[in-house]
Amino acid sequence: MGAAPVVAAAPFAGMALAGGRTREATHLGPGHAFNAGHAAMIGEEVPAPGQAGDLDALTYPPAALPHQPGRVREYTLIAQDREIEVAKGVVYPAWTYNGTVPGPVIRATEDDILRVEFANGGAHPHTIHFHGIHPSNMDGVFEVVNPGDRFTYEFPARPYGMHLYHCHATPLKKHIHKGLYGAFIIDPPEPRPPAQELVMVMNAFDTDGDGENNFYAVNGPAFFYARYPIKVKRSQTVRIYLANLTEFDLINSFHLHGDFFRYYPTGSTDYFEYTDTVMLCQGQRGIIEIDFANTGRFMFHAHQSEFAELGWMGFFEVED
Amino acid sequence: MEARSVAENTQRPGDTTRWRLWALVPILLLVAVVALFSARGGSVLELVGQSPPPADEFDIRRVELSPGEVRIRVTNPQREDLTIATVTVDDAIVPFTVEGDETLGRLRSSTIVVPYDWVQDEPLAVGVTSSTGIQTTAEVAAAVETPGPSVDGFFGYALIGALVGIVPIALGLLWLPSLRRARPQWLAAFMALTGGLLTFLAVEALAEALELQAVLPGALGGPGLVVLGVAISYLALTFLSQRLSSRGTSPGGTLGGLALAMLVAIGIGVHNLGEGLAIGTSFALGELTLGTFLIVGFMIHNVTEGLGIAAPAAEGRAPGLGRLALLALIAGAPTILGAWIGGYITNDVLGVLFFSLAAGAALQVVVEVVRYVARRAPGGLTSGYAVGGFLSGLAIMYVTGLLV
Repeated sequence: MGAAPVVAAAPFAGMALAGGRTREATHLGPGHAFNAGHAAMIGEEVPAPGQAGDLDALTYPPAALPHQPGRVREYTLIAQDREIEVAKGVVYPAWTYNGTVPGPVIRATEDDILRVEFANGGAHPHTIHFHGIHPSNMDGVFEVVNPGDRFTYEFPARPYGMHLYHCHATPLKKHIHKGLYGAFIIDPPEPRPPAQELVMVMNAFDTDGDGENNFYAVNGPAFFYARYPIKVKRSQTVRIYLANLTEFDLINSFHLHGDFFRYYPTGSTDYFEYTDTVMLCQGQRGIIEIDFANTGRFMFHAHQSEFAELGWMGFFEVED
Repeated sequence: MEARSVAENTQRPGDTTRWRLWALVPILLLVAVVALFSARGGSVLELVGQSPPPADEFDIRRVELSPGEVRIRVTNPQREDLTIATVTVDDAIVPFTVEGDETLGRLRSSTIVVPYDWVQDEPLAVGVTSSTGIQTTAEVAAAVETPGPSVDGFFGYALIGALVGIVPIALGLLWLPSLRRARPQWLAAFMALTGGLLTFLAVEALAEALELQAVLPGALGGPGLVVLGVAISYLALTFLSQRLSSRGTSPGGTLGGLALAMLVAIGIGVHNLGEGLAIGTSFALGELTLGTFLIVGFMIHNVTEGLGIAAPAAEGRAPGLGRLALLALIAGAPTILGAWIGGYITNDVLGVLFFSLAAGAALQVVVEVVRYVARRAPGGLTSGYAVGGFLSGLAIMYVTGLLV
């Protein structure tokens, strides 16, 4: 009791002067000697695994290429069983594409020919099921790839938008929550305006196998972006390719503090909603565009408070 | 021929030593086999399949609350090391510090300290997740500040212990003058009543011990601990009763009079140690509201224990006030000790042990009392007085137990 309320009240002193109104500091009763700290976990004390930059490959997508019908875009995905740190000190035996959860960002421009070489290095049969328009034998449902086998998915990339891919082997729930999923971006023929581009795949881990998630995050480990805020410039639009691949929970959401954004469902170009909160079921995705009005540190998190407090929370560090 | 040579050998003193040394051979061989198995045992076990991985669950021993802070005492109950990775309070990951090691060896404990603004009187769930992602949770039914070791609290527990332990027993002992004037068959009835109530206490303590051991981590060996506790106290009291009877307090090898009263007091005292522990623990963990009603319930319940001690003392030389006070203290004071232990150290192992000891002690005293009634009471065990007394003892304990 004492120090914290005084510090908290200090910014209001300025407000009181500016607004010409007075504001009384709220006094807490005796005995309320709790550790106020911040209203969220910030900085060094945030329990997040890894080091700054660890998620760069998943956070920053490869650049969009100009429209050039028939161009072949090649990717190689290898299913690997691998232990990953999903929260500070917590190791989870994941099934991954290329060693990470989520898997690598796959990006093409509409009318590219997408060629994805898939090798199954895991212990179970897997597939890759892409969302989009493609022949049924490229759907990752009928051609199950056994351990040690390979398969090449080849189809034209369309329609443009924000999509996703995931394993469709059964049991589906197990194959998805173990970590076999990723973001799949198809750029429109007419390029989107330049922006600082980010990818966020909402995910969760049930580490004790009770059918309920223990940790939530975007792009893998809990609280990573709270420990290592994403630096962005106020002068340029921030574009987030957002997808929800959370298993077990019916929905997930994205909420931005201190600003509003345009939300383009499934990455449409002609329709958006102006809001600060969007809700997505599993498989739902879209594009968020933020033009930050202010500099400073702004939080983003699931607006399911429980998810936020179990790891799905981070910060933008907006600089001039 | 072999048999003969062994017989010859044992006759010589040098060979006796040799055969005694032979006793070490099985132990040495065991060491050798264990070493061999430890080194190569993996391949043997593979023949019968893979063993599942350990559960990696912590044992949350105690959750203490103080203003702005939650303290969680955890133990590793399994063979493999366990590492504390994340801690949640009400399904939210919280920053924490650990007093002690973060990686715990078998049966090692540490205390997790979480700065947390908890809400008075509301339930609270804490979770500790090991590095393999397995979460162990514990719930606090209603969050209240855990009483710390204060002078007030210390005297408080002592006072409660005295109220539910010593006072009712002392009151029960006041029946002594009336009992001394009772006719022998009535005295026998009261002795049988003592037997009944001790039987009730023995069964109650045994049930409590078994219930507590069931939730102990397997590594702590619950049922074995109960058997050990019962055996220790039973045998210790058998030894004691033999010492008391050899001092000539009673004729015919049967304990009677003050010596038997002393034994009954000891048996009840051991039981009350467990009872005090239960009261202290429940209160400290916020599971028990020590209302006036509950204290009154315990007092009425325990008055019968005083009667149980008074019945054997009614025979023979009249004991002085000092002796009576001593009996009341022996039977009642352990409640205070139990309440202190329970209030400040939550330890389920101790709880199991105490209640097992109580069961064994009560059983032994029942045996002594039954022996007394069988040999000394008019009509023996089958008289209406004895049977009625025994059943009344059980019934009284049951009915007054409903008050608690």
